[in-house]
Amino acid sequence: MTLALYLTVFLIATCGLVYELAAAALASYLLGDTVTQFSTVIGVYLFAMGVGSYLSRFIERDLLGRFVRIELLVGLVGGSSVAALFVVFGRSGSVRAALYPLVGAVGILVGLEIPLLIRILKDRLELRDLVAHVLTFDYVGALAASLLFPLVLVPQLGLTASCFLFGCVNVAVGLWSIWLFRDFIRRPRRLALQGTAALAFLAAGFCLSGRLTTAVEGRIFGAEVIGAVSSPYQRIVVTRRDDDVRLYLNGHLQFSSEDEYRYHEALVHPGLAARPGARRALVLGGGDGLAVREILRHPNIESVTLVDLDPAVTGLFRDNEILSRLNGGSIRHPKVTVVNADAFHWVGEARDLFDFVVADFPDPSSYSVGKLYTTTFYRALARLLAPDGLAAVQATSPLSARQSYWCVVETIRAAGLRAVPYHAYVPSMDEWGFVLASRAPYERPERLPDGLRFLDEAGLRSIFEFPPDMRPLPVEPNRLDSQVLVRYYAGEWR
Amino acid sequence: MRRWTRRAFVGAGVGAAAAASAPFVLTRRAVAGSIVGASMETAHRLRARDFPPPSRRIEVPVAILGGGIAGLGAAWRLDRSGAGDFLLFELEDSAGGNARSGRNGVSAYPWGAHYVPVPNAESRAVLDLFRDLGVITGADGAGRPVYDERFLCFAPQERIFAEGEWEEGIFPRRGASREDLDQLRDFGQAMEEWRRKEVFRIPLDLSERDPEILALDRVSMEEFLRRNGWTSPRLRWYVEYGCRDDYGCVLSTTSAWAGLHYFASRRGPDPADGGTPVLTWPEGNGWIVARIAERLGSRLRCGWLVTRVAPGSDGVRVEVFDAARGDSVEVACRFAILALPRFVAAHVVEPWRASPPDWMPAFTYAPWMVANLTVDRVPAGRGFEPAWDNVIHGSESLGYVVATHQSLSTAPGPSVLTYYRPFTGPDPGEERRRMASRSWADWRDEILADLSRAHPDVASLVRTIDVMRWGHAMIRPAPGFIWGEGRRRAAEPLGALHFAHSDLSGLSLFEEALDRGVSAADSVLRRLR
Repeated sequence: MTLALYLTVFLIATCGLVYELAAAALASYLLGDTVTQFSTVIGVYLFAMGVGSYLSRFIERDLLGRFVRIELLVGLVGGSSVAALFVVFGRSGSVRAALYPLVGAVGILVGLEIPLLIRILKDRLELRDLVAHVLTFDYVGALAASLLFPLVLVPQLGLTASCFLFGCVNVAVGLWSIWLFRDFIRRPRRLALQGTAALAFLAAGFCLSGRLTTAVEGRIFGAEVIGAVSSPYQRIVVTRRDDDVRLYLNGHLQFSSEDEYRYHEALVHPGLAARPGARRALVLGGGDGLAVREILRHPNIESVTLVDLDPAVTGLFRDNEILSRLNGGSIRHPKVTVVNADAFHWVGEARDLFDFVVADFPDPSSYSVGKLYTTTFYRALARLLAPDGLAAVQATSPLSARQSYWCVVETIRAAGLRAVPYHAYVPSMDEWGFVLASRAPYERPERLPDGLRFLDEAGLRSIFEFPPDMRPLPVEPNRLDSQVLVRYYAGEWR
Repeated sequence: MRRWTRRAFVGAGVGAAAAASAPFVLTRRAVAGSIVGASMETAHRLRARDFPPPSRRIEVPVAILGGGIAGLGAAWRLDRSGAGDFLLFELEDSAGGNARSGRNGVSAYPWGAHYVPVPNAESRAVLDLFRDLGVITGADGAGRPVYDERFLCFAPQERIFAEGEWEEGIFPRRGASREDLDQLRDFGQAMEEWRRKEVFRIPLDLSERDPEILALDRVSMEEFLRRNGWTSPRLRWYVEYGCRDDYGCVLSTTSAWAGLHYFASRRGPDPADGGTPVLTWPEGNGWIVARIAERLGSRLRCGWLVTRVAPGSDGVRVEVFDAARGDSVEVACRFAILALPRFVAAHVVEPWRASPPDWMPAFTYAPWMVANLTVDRVPAGRGFEPAWDNVIHGSESLGYVVATHQSLSTAPGPSVLTYYRPFTGPDPGEERRRMASRSWADWRDEILADLSRAHPDVASLVRTIDVMRWGHAMIRPAPGFIWGEGRRRAAEPLGALHFAHSDLSGLSLFEEALDRGVSAADSVLRRLR
């Protein structure tokens, strides 16, 4: 009997701490800032336990029955807490509003456990021994949980399943108590039935937790995650829903396979088709190989140099089956050379001349990326352009980020180049803008390569027309010492 | 994704365990480094006069003594004017003075002065130098100089940490009261008015000499703020930051004239933009030093200590001690430019060694500590992105400057942070003793404790901390000094001996030092012809 008591204390202490650690770990995973999340979760949890301990004085009758019910409730609420938070995050994208009430509820329930247990046992043991042993096993249980959690539970089971498992343990403690004290509890059968139902629910949750996590993570990106890599530079996530493959860098959509052809055809062909004699091409950024795929449609191109900062991106799009099918194996193409380097440095040091250049960088959402849209950068780029060479620059949306778009145009002009603005509609992104930069004047191409799905001769005429809501605004050129583009972009793109 | 997720969770668990235990067990790795620095031992031998008599003799038309910006500026001017037959003697093993710099595997970095504000039209010497060095690449339609964009400080220039978060700029707006902001606006408008009137100029000897304005020199900045009703603690902090930053002084020890000069003298090309644009390089003003030193070649003699300077009617006899060979050399020259500060000059110039000049006590110097921290990456912190200059509100330090800020790279990587700490107590001698008594470990702990207020993770990012102590880093523009008698008399030539140093201006500024050097060279050139 005494051993059973100690085991009970040990187990409920372990369960209690697992819920607490799991909530804190989840919060720091979803919200970042580990120290803050752990501090606030632990603080709220301990405080709630104090509230629970206080509330225990209002429980007067049927202590055993109440204790069992609390065990069942702790198991249910605590065990499904992480799954519930995942679902909330997947739906609303925010977890704070649900996190603290849930942590508080679990804390209150856990805080009720030990005071009730002590009161239940106070007539069977000396108070001195009772308090000493109960608290000893309480703390030993906490130690067990704190070791199990990072070393076994999280690596082997994951967070969601771990919580469900310990929910089962909590409920099992409740059921075991029913059996132990069956003579002292009112209506033990009904309680046992409730316990069994709770156990079944949690066990089902445990079994399904893997699928649940994927489904919820899928909801965060709106699709199944088929590849995810964290490189020193960024987090790369590739998702797929049916035939739609999407690339996210740091949570920002880069392309959707449903309509990326619109973007890449518009990026490459208006420029490249106007230079039928072009032989050497350069792609800056664009490690997905999709712009390269479009460039390779032009048989006159003899070599393509692809410069992308992140070997993780070029590697993923070279080796992953689905992704390399998407770019037509362009990264492995014999005409293509991949260089993993910082674009600004590479451009500053390169000595070759190119007939066609693509500058396909992420949007200027930070001062570091913003450098790749400055007068200094375009001047350096101009050095690499053959006398009649052309550069196609992605330039954000002239509709949603109108100042930003025209700032890129203005910056290219301030760098001493001609700039020809044009745009195309890409449903997964927006109305999207590009700029052709060159020294020699630009004229629309006579013909386009075969097999295009978006651009045709008629489309080629319309992309240079800007309706009133996308027309130029007065803007400053983007310089390294001002970086106005980053400010424009931050103001427009929320 | 699932596997990745689990790994991340383990990481979070372990990280949290480490974070939770951090207050009890310092888990930071060992930081390397040492106290590096000015050749104090050799210099202090000046007091004991412990040097062998000269065993060799050199004759040269002009000798420049001291290789800081004033000495280098004089050398640059002589060289450009076709009077290239001179020698420049410098005690340290590299030239530059306060503009010296270092370099490690990560980046070049400054040991002191790290920028030059875009010069005013009247700062002729600076403009000439920048044209000559290619910092100015041409002129725009309106005739204004165009600067090489690589050298104009990239955006964002400044950020400040206040109330738990970084924000852009250098005034702590976060948590500021209505009254703070009103006073800031008033102060800003007043400074704009002074700027518009072009009262304060660079070099400062070109400033408006209206006696009413010069009288401000006898008042402290503290008193000036009080008279104007500028009592906001935030505004006072902001103004004092400027005094500490440029002068190593606090409000009560800065002359109001000097304080106003700081805020109202720089009329950058586009004042509508707010602050003045500045020119900077990874190694700070060490870049300029290196460009001038390249041209001087073997005429620049480092590791030589000037021990005696005797001006005569037909020339100057100089004795220099070659620290490497341990012997002394007599340098006989027609003219000499003493580009050393007064506290050194008093020990070497012949008439002053016998009886110290009465103006000497007016020259006081603030000590500084500068540290260079090599870090795995620039610490981000909460709020606004890392800037070039990163200031912590309420800190005794001036914050830190990022040496790799002018890098064109977009990828995060290791960097060097230059951390500045002036010692601003009322008694500089006492402050020097305080500074000298600290060990490297004391500095390390103090620096990390200061930075960790804004960057709790800083200790885990730092690989090395090197510390340099500058006993007499900057002349202090104490009330009454700039427009007092002493400063004027100290600058008067003694026969063929001319003087050039920023302490003769009372402000330790690049522009002042350069102009003093160039002016001294011009005087010598006139007399040579």
